[in-house]
Amino acid sequence: MAIKIRMRGKSKGGVAEVKALIKHPMESGVRMNKKTGKPYPAKYIDTVKVTVNGADAVDAQWSGAVSANPYMAVKVKANAGDEVKLSLTDNTGETGEETLKLK
Amino acid sequence: MKRRSFLKGTLATGAAAVAVNAGLLTPSTVLAEWNKNAFSAKSTDDALNSVFGSTSAAASGDIKLKAPAIAENGAVTPVTVDASAMSGVESIAILASKNPMPLVCTYNFASAAEGYVSTRIKMGETMNVIAVVKAGGKLFKAEQEVKVTIGGCGG
Repeated sequence: MAIKIRMRGKSKGGVAEVKALIKHPMESGVRMNKKTGKPYPAKYIDTVKVTVNGADAVDAQWSGAVSANPYMAVKVKANAGDEVKLSLTDNTGETGEETLKLK
Repeated sequence: MKRRSFLKGTLATGAAAVAVNAGLLTPSTVLAEWNKNAFSAKSTDDALNSVFGSTSAAASGDIKLKAPAIAENGAVTPVTVDASAMSGVESIAILASKNPMPLVCTYNFASAAEGYVSTRIKMGETMNVIAVVKAGGKLFKAEQEVKVTIGGCGG
């Protein structure tokens, strides 16, 4: 199942702030299940990539210490009509991807 | 009880298999390798050494670190690092000094991006948020204490 992403962004003077809300549990693997005494298995997004018109812009690595249902905002140099793409992978191999055409 | 742990075990191995499959099927989409050493480091210095190869970062007023003075819920602490006033920002790392594994996230920027990141992080207790910025081959940092009233890493 793909990871769900919602993206928004607007270009102003050649710079666009792109905001994304991602639906993901971000389980760090440290939190204990009180009933079994064992930690919940880790499941978190570890790599995040933002491209503008196919060119690399931002490359991020996350740990399980990023909040559940992560919010992320970055600024990229892009104009209206440019396509900003966000792609994610979590530590279990699940991926998600969303493309946004800037206004 | 046994049945439960059995089910859990099979689920875990299933997930691992999926990960392997995904890795095998789409080798071209594998991104820059995840820095396991840095993320499993237990101290901020170790983490910084793994990410940047150095721990000597100069404090800089050009980094704008925005975090709440008091976080009501440590599980969602909004943090914004704005280093767009600096030129040649290559990467930004966000650390929470007293978390079991302090390194929260690292961002690398290509020329098509500005040194700006806003995100939400988990914090277990009152501690400092540290933003380390690499610009022009040098390290700079900004630090701010965040008081946490409800921890974010417990159940």
